[in-house]
Amino acid sequence: MNILEPAFVAAVLTAAAPVILAALGGLLCSVSGVFNMALEGQLLWGAFTAVVLSHLTGSAWWGVAGAVTATALYAAVLSVPAVTFRADPVVVAVGANLLALGLTAFLMREILGVGGTYTSPGLDGLPTLAEAGLGGVPVIGPVLGPQSPLVLVTPVLVAAAAWWLRHTRSGLRLRGIGEHPEAAGSLGLRVGPYRHGAVLAAGALCGLAGAQLALGNVTLFSEGMSAGRGWVAVVAVMLGGTRPYRVAAACLLFGAAEAFGFRLQGAGLPQQAADAAPYVITLLALVAAGAASRRRHAARPRLEAP
Amino acid sequence: MPAETPPAAELVGITKRFGPVLANDGVDLSIARGEIHALVGENGAGKSTLMSVLYGLHRPDSGRILRNGSPVRLRSPADAIAHGLGMVHQRFRLFPGLTVAENVVIGAEPTRRGVLDLAAAREEVERLGELYGLRADPSAVVRDLPIGVRQRVEILKALHRRAEVLILDEPTAVLTPGEAARLFEVLRAVTRAGLSVVLVTHRLGEVLAVGDRVTVLRGGRVTGRFTVAETTADELVVAMIGRSASPARHPGRRAAAGTPYALEVRELTVRDRDGVARLSGVSFGVRAGEIVGVAGVAGSGQRELVDAVTGLHPPGPRDAGAVLLSGRPVLRREAAVAYVPEDRHGRATAADMSLAENLVMGDQRSPGLRRGPGLSAAAVRDRARELVGRFAIRAASVDAPISTLSGGNAQKAVLARELSRRTPVIVIEEPTQGVDVGAQEQIHALLAEARDRGQAVLLQSSELGELRALADRILVMYGGRIVAQIPGDEATDERLGAAMAGTAA
Amino acid sequence: MSANAGDRVDARRVARALASPAVLAVAGALALTTLVMPLAGVDPARAYPALLDGALGPGNLEYTIAAFVPTLGMALAFAIPFRTGEFNLGGDGQMALGGVAAAALALYAPLPAGIAVVVPLAAAALTGALVAGISAPLRTRLGIPAIVSTLLVSTPAVALASYLVRFPMAEPGTGIAQTPPLPEAAHLPALGGSGYLTIGLPVVAALTAAWLYADARTVLGYEIRATGANREFARYGGVAVDRLAVVTLAGGGAFAGLVGGLIVLGPPFRFVDGALTAPGYTFTAIAAVLLATGRPPAVPLTVALVTILQVGGQGMEREAGVPSQLTQIIQGLVIVIVAVLATVRARTRTRTRAGEPAGTAGRPGEAGTPA
Repeated sequence: MNILEPAFVAAVLTAAAPVILAALGGLLCSVSGVFNMALEGQLLWGAFTAVVLSHLTGSAWWGVAGAVTATALYAAVLSVPAVTFRADPVVVAVGANLLALGLTAFLMREILGVGGTYTSPGLDGLPTLAEAGLGGVPVIGPVLGPQSPLVLVTPVLVAAAAWWLRHTRSGLRLRGIGEHPEAAGSLGLRVGPYRHGAVLAAGALCGLAGAQLALGNVTLFSEGMSAGRGWVAVVAVMLGGTRPYRVAAACLLFGAAEAFGFRLQGAGLPQQAADAAPYVITLLALVAAGAASRRRHAARPRLEAP
Repeated sequence: MPAETPPAAELVGITKRFGPVLANDGVDLSIARGEIHALVGENGAGKSTLMSVLYGLHRPDSGRILRNGSPVRLRSPADAIAHGLGMVHQRFRLFPGLTVAENVVIGAEPTRRGVLDLAAAREEVERLGELYGLRADPSAVVRDLPIGVRQRVEILKALHRRAEVLILDEPTAVLTPGEAARLFEVLRAVTRAGLSVVLVTHRLGEVLAVGDRVTVLRGGRVTGRFTVAETTADELVVAMIGRSASPARHPGRRAAAGTPYALEVRELTVRDRDGVARLSGVSFGVRAGEIVGVAGVAGSGQRELVDAVTGLHPPGPRDAGAVLLSGRPVLRREAAVAYVPEDRHGRATAADMSLAENLVMGDQRSPGLRRGPGLSAAAVRDRARELVGRFAIRAASVDAPISTLSGGNAQKAVLARELSRRTPVIVIEEPTQGVDVGAQEQIHALLAEARDRGQAVLLQSSELGELRALADRILVMYGGRIVAQIPGDEATDERLGAAMAGTAA
Repeated sequence: MSANAGDRVDARRVARALASPAVLAVAGALALTTLVMPLAGVDPARAYPALLDGALGPGNLEYTIAAFVPTLGMALAFAIPFRTGEFNLGGDGQMALGGVAAAALALYAPLPAGIAVVVPLAAAALTGALVAGISAPLRTRLGIPAIVSTLLVSTPAVALASYLVRFPMAEPGTGIAQTPPLPEAAHLPALGGSGYLTIGLPVVAALTAAWLYADARTVLGYEIRATGANREFARYGGVAVDRLAVVTLAGGGAFAGLVGGLIVLGPPFRFVDGALTAPGYTFTAIAAVLLATGRPPAVPLTVALVTILQVGGQGMEREAGVPSQLTQIIQGLVIVIVAVLATVRARTRTRTRAGEPAGTAGRPGEAGTPA
């Protein structure tokens, strides 16, 4: 198979987009000094609220808006305990992820009236760029044609985040707060509000990611459909540190692994190989990065949580 | 100074109490415009507390603060900054991953049409650097800079915020003599421009070299005010430590020169993760029944030496040389080496474990504490009760978390644990830091007793008086090497000081 | 926990127990859930009795006890590494591969009765230990947190188990994703005449007791606790902290693998794909351990509580039409609330202790301090 063939590149972008969006949220938290391991639950909640709002309003765009709002609100489950009460963010995240799993499965039965998977011909999904007239354009047509507009928004958000962190007052302050909160506090910067802001922004991004997952990649909601993508986003943040482009690159690696897994399945390998491939590749990337860092420093690498 | 100009900053009748400890007791301090005002005193004299009050970190129980003659309320460092006060802490408060320019402007950033003006920030760093001789590359990342330059960034940060009174807390503790001399030039330039400097220190040499006036604190009270031109070191020492002078000397019987070393370090070279040598060719030995002192400016390699000797960081593949314990190389933490670390909270105790559990660490595998396959809770408790009694540790219960003990009692607990094991070798860092004078003498007696029992003691301390009182020999470290070895009874502050500065052979 | 009849009831002790983060967290989570129930059209007055009856009612209690066994085992799988501060979130994969190992031995290496049960169980524990043990060197040599590596290993491990059961080990001709039934000799002996309860219950209970003893009363337990309380302190005291990471992660994994083996060797005596992971033992157990807030003897109690919630939830779904996922919501809330209460309590404790001069309590700044 040719990995440069447009259909494969298209599949990589489709698989990577939600992970990049979630990881970008994780990056903002990491920059602010909060370790956000709740991305998995937030992504799931985003997917669920997107489908519910699309179902209720009949418009995928209302679904997107609703998911962004609802997931930003849901992020308070992490931000209030972890920032205001300074509870252990890892423990809170374990709880918040479980809560999202339970809430979505419960509300799905209450609101959508089914368990397992919800899909309906009447459920409005996001349009593709091909529908917007991009399909006929050579080269980029086959790559971007099958994508939703959110896939196009994703690199814009990555670039915006990179620029914002470097070139704005609030971006600089967020970096300072993450590096040394006491010092930032003694300069009169308000650590709490910045961190709340970062966690809520991560929620909004996870809402967008969930909307892309449930209304862009497919048009359905199923229980646990985030399927570990939030954890992969966490790993991407560990690999890319506080640099948005690196984090996005790590997510693209995951997207390639997932697309590759589908190809394997197409080539006759069992579905389980496709399920496992992204995680195996992600783990190998972590190991390679850890080993490289160890070679460079001979001491313990700086992959660990802040 | 014309009489009508009010002082740049004035503290009146400041009293501050922490629980039972009276840290400041009715302290008055007046800082004139354009002067370098030294604030001196021994550890625990209340200097840091007083400066924390002036910088808005602590609110005084009573007393007033005036700026240019008018009273101000400082509820936070941000308030202090707004009132033209700037502070350079002993532990810098920089953002290691940000550039020099970003560090200087953060919180008071120049912007152009809402966008951060990094060019203006760089220009500001260069302008201030030019003005006061504080050169630093504005684009360098702080993490990569040497300590001396980081300190300049701290000063630039305060100047950028238009500080008129600059407080420096023990600024030379981490500097080489050359860097310190450069710092003093900066301070002179700053005061020539009309700013005021408060120099907090316990080094009298620097006070006499750069200070205009001195205020001396002892036990939370002012015990002397002097004009530098009209005072002497002796006068300042008397005000600082009172009549009792330096701690009583505990001379040991000279260990026979022929006896083998209990602890020996041979040609030890240790590199950090970037490959820079932190110890270079260090060799020495400690015999049973001997206390060997280690002196040096902070960061001269003492920490790396202690980590290697205690087996916490045994020499690795990139290092060279060996640490020998009765002739055998030390490759891991050895039960035969007792160790009292400087970092009580981070290393010597586990805050959430009980006092009893803290008191057996390191000895948990000894048969005396076992019962069958298990660790006998009764034996652990008995051991703890015995140590609590013998070392007069004040604790509500041996089952309460050690975090419920006061700092001095926690230190006694650590000492009790390490000294009671009667190991061949004891390594001890800063044994009396943050401990009151009475306990200090007790601790010194305990160490002398251990030595007289035949233990080999390696004592690292930044208190020269302590080293003189206890050590049979004093090793002076500078730049990762041992630059002098001085017998305890021949060590004077001058000789030690010259060696610590790296200027004496 | 001695029920000595002569004991006088100590009112202060009872009050303190009631005010513990665990009790408050459960109360808070239940209160929150109860408040939200009417919004979802659920009548609490019907839901809770249905929940209790579903878990403890006649005929249901036996099933609840049967579910208690794997949950307790998985609680240990999480709790053992957690005592040193490591999170094992990969219980599913360790359990699934443990189950596969047990099934494979029982199917392909028929053993005489007596050891036909013991050997597969030992193999299951060993497999779980190996799967979890991978994460130890990743943590100590490469600095990859166990919370991430255990989880990343888990998904492929579950996929591998699923593949093996669907293809090489599948029961021929049925098309159902399950192994053939295991030989009679490999069946776990039932307890009494029970259809659900096997000797798995006393086995797990005995191992739990052994763990509680080891944690509180042995040198290893002391060293593990010290490592969890302050890693640097343990290293200082001569504890081989890197080796403890291997011991505790592998130890936890062994329990997860054992649980997989117990499920497979119990009724319906075969490996059914998804049957191990579907009930969500791993995370239910994590909720229980976090609820125990660092007190191992409380773990069996908190496991009993979450099992009652979990099993009762299914009864509630049958009787009152309330989706059983409600119990997952309660568990999630419990974890979040207990995390908050634990820090709030730790902070009030430090605040009440005699004040010390500035700087000793705060986290020291990292910038600019000489190495």
